[in-house]
Amino acid sequence: MMKLIILYFCIRFEKISETLSMKTLNENAQSVGTILLEIGALLMSSGASTNRTRITMERIARGLGYGLELLITQRALMLTITEKDQQHFFSRLKRISPHGANFRIVSGISHLSWNVMEQDWTIEQISEEVQRLKALPHYPRLVVLGMVGLAGAGFCRIFGGGYIEMSVAFVATVCGLFVRQEATKVKFNPYLCIFFAAFAASLIAGTAEYLKIGTEPDKALATSVLFLVPGIPLINSVTDLMDGNIQNGMVRAMNGLMIAFSIAMGLLSVKMILNF
Amino acid sequence: MILLEIITKSIWAGIAAMGFAVLFNVPRRVIFSIGMLGAVGGLIKFTVMNFDVGIVFASFLGATAVGIISIQMAHMRNSPPLVFSIPSVIPMVPGLFAYKMMLGLIALTSIENTDDYIQSLIHTVNNGAKAMFILISLGTGVAIPMLLSRKESIKKSKFNKKKEVAV
Repeated sequence: MMKLIILYFCIRFEKISETLSMKTLNENAQSVGTILLEIGALLMSSGASTNRTRITMERIARGLGYGLELLITQRALMLTITEKDQQHFFSRLKRISPHGANFRIVSGISHLSWNVMEQDWTIEQISEEVQRLKALPHYPRLVVLGMVGLAGAGFCRIFGGGYIEMSVAFVATVCGLFVRQEATKVKFNPYLCIFFAAFAASLIAGTAEYLKIGTEPDKALATSVLFLVPGIPLINSVTDLMDGNIQNGMVRAMNGLMIAFSIAMGLLSVKMILNF
Repeated sequence: MILLEIITKSIWAGIAAMGFAVLFNVPRRVIFSIGMLGAVGGLIKFTVMNFDVGIVFASFLGATAVGIISIQMAHMRNSPPLVFSIPSVIPMVPGLFAYKMMLGLIALTSIENTDDYIQSLIHTVNNGAKAMFILISLGTGVAIPMLLSRKESIKKSKFNKKKEVAV
């Protein structure tokens, strides 16, 4: 009788401890999965290629001791992580909200993944680091405007413009970027933002052409909208296609084409208004 | 004189690369490396073009050089290679050709005279093909060094082995 009671309690206790350990395992898997999804979404929205996102996430998961299966698309991430014993798994979907390029985050997360691998970072450290990276400041607005303006002038010089055309391109680029930043702030459709920016920039350069400022004013007009070129979508598209992520590559290429089309629409509107 | 022209253009290409680096919010420590890289890419492209090589192949060579150096720099400056390579090849983007193609397409909608139409069509197709192939060559040029050196990561690739031995 006594033996039976002891046996009963032993079994009972074992069950309790089993459910306890399962609970902690699940909670761990949950927090690891959530942080991995956040990292992946950050990488995809700040301009990393699909393969880079996959490698980084796999590296972090391996460093924490989990197996990882991933589905990466342009606007959503799906992952399943498994414990080493293959008994428990955790699965979740996350939407990726587009933010625009931010290479500071790409660089920071690359560091982070190596720290996880080599210095055995814990989940708390990882989430602290992700929060820190998200809070990192952008460059001051005036610096961005000035540097991108200089880039516009540089483009004009590369395509053979003189100093007058270069200054026209500088002013047009600065105004265009300003319009784009303001339009993005009030949350217009991204393609519409690009259309507005292209319109503003080419309106200024087109007016200069209309007033016959400089010797080759068409070069200023052509280069004033080049700060909008979808460089990251197009280059990442080729990278993705070559890595075999055909679907993502096609989506990126289409996105780049739509941006190029918006730029062309802006230019076309100005051409129609000024009529030359 | 031609040399001076090439060098000036390359320097402006470097400045344009730095402008895009700021727009893409790269870490502060790598901005000047990106400027140098953009200038080197431009220098190679303009020099090759000076020897009567087509702009597509010249862009490809420039982009490949940028890709190779960016892998080296990724280790020196502790950032992934794409942080260096993307802003550096953007000055080589064929903006003028794309612009001319777009204007040509718009003009094609309203030309009535057959001879004019054919002339305009030829120019448009030429500009469009150039723009497209330059873009593809930029993308592949940047990607090829990555594919050749691919061993899980830059950290373990061949470029680093010497350095690790030295340290």
